[in-house]
Amino acid sequence: MNNAPQPRPEDLPSKAQLFRSSIMAAIGAVVILVTVYLPAEHAIDPTGLGRVIGLTEMGEIKRELAEEAARDAEIHVDQSSSLIDAIFGTFIGSAQAQEAWRDEMSFTLAPGATAEIKLVMEAGTTANYAWTATGGRINFDLHAHGDGLSIDYARGRGETAGEGSIEAPFSGEHGWFWRNRDSSEITVTLQLRGDYNDLKQTY
Amino acid sequence: MTSTQRGLSAPPSRRAVTLALFTLTALALSTAQAMAHNVTPGDAGYIQEIWGVHIIPFIYLGAKHMVTGYDHILFLLGVVFFLYRMKDVAMYVSIFAVGHSVTMLLGVWYGWGINAYIIDAIIGLSVVYKALDNLGAYQRWFGFQPDTKTATLVFGLFHGTGLASKILEYQIAEDGLLANLVAFNVGVEIGQILALAVILIVMGYWRRSPNFMRQATVANIIMIVLGVILTGQQIAGFIAST
Repeated sequence: MNNAPQPRPEDLPSKAQLFRSSIMAAIGAVVILVTVYLPAEHAIDPTGLGRVIGLTEMGEIKRELAEEAARDAEIHVDQSSSLIDAIFGTFIGSAQAQEAWRDEMSFTLAPGATAEIKLVMEAGTTANYAWTATGGRINFDLHAHGDGLSIDYARGRGETAGEGSIEAPFSGEHGWFWRNRDSSEITVTLQLRGDYNDLKQTY
Repeated sequence: MTSTQRGLSAPPSRRAVTLALFTLTALALSTAQAMAHNVTPGDAGYIQEIWGVHIIPFIYLGAKHMVTGYDHILFLLGVVFFLYRMKDVAMYVSIFAVGHSVTMLLGVWYGWGINAYIIDAIIGLSVVYKALDNLGAYQRWFGFQPDTKTATLVFGLFHGTGLASKILEYQIAEDGLLANLVAFNVGVEIGQILALAVILIVMGYWRRSPNFMRQATVANIIMIVLGVILTGQQIAGFIAST
């Protein structure tokens, strides 16, 4: 009851052909495993080829992210609710009146380096910020946590400037995780004003 | 799998497209980020850390997506199941590739966001359709044979739309998007050829067996079951998400 005739023997590959194909496929699988899969998934690069074609970098970033996720899960028992995210998810406005900045700080990150800058804020308060990056393009994650809550305000990659305001939906630490994924040193200059109690670099 | 419902939009100019993509990104960002806090691990995490043109990594990601995408593999298996000559295999696989490439590229470029559950349910149905076709069900039920090449093309278009929905969830940076997208597509085709190589070797041995035709009937019935399960899972996911 099939929609095709029985295959004719002359249409099928011979046993010898199939055996050769199987050997080639097995060799191909091992080559792909060593030169492609291991670098891209685990940053293990025995041939050095993965480094040249950019797959080892992928493996390193994935490993780094997995470690960070595991560390985060340990530090914060995650109670971040998507409800909170949904309600407060769009709380970044543009900077308003031209007031003087209260704090200005700057830090330099080597390629691959990270920094975390946090404002200690009470619920309902607002802080304004502006930042620029020179020397390269920076990645950031503007987020907050406190009182068992967490929220992701915004993320960016390959950016050189940003400005806006943070309206704290809950008390806690609100700020940026910065990471230099570029190939050169980057200096970030951050200006701040508004209602925050403390400014600190958490790591 | 997260699913962000997005409206169908086909803006005429590139600027509007860019705007739409940014809006989509903003929309995706404002919805809950999975995982502990703000770390997105894995392939999506990697993609969200980089910008600019990364040809080889995106080829790898495309190939990985295809090789690990059992719904695509099942459909491919159905298509080549009774194709005994390499010329036919090449023809049908090319038709499938053209179909899914068109909607994958256009879908990402214009930000078509069809609900991932719905499109994956249709992909599940494509497996059911092809397995029924292999069993000769349409001839028996309706007395005619629907054109198999057309069906392969049409389902290819749906598979590509599914790929596009997944890629939109990756949030590839605007910087280097087109080159990375084309690389991803090339990777999908390489992954398809790799999967096909394994399928054809196994089928090559199997077809030499005297029991092949009898077992083929069973195999296609199993494929129908798997397709129905895939479809059911997606429909359940869709209902749960609304």
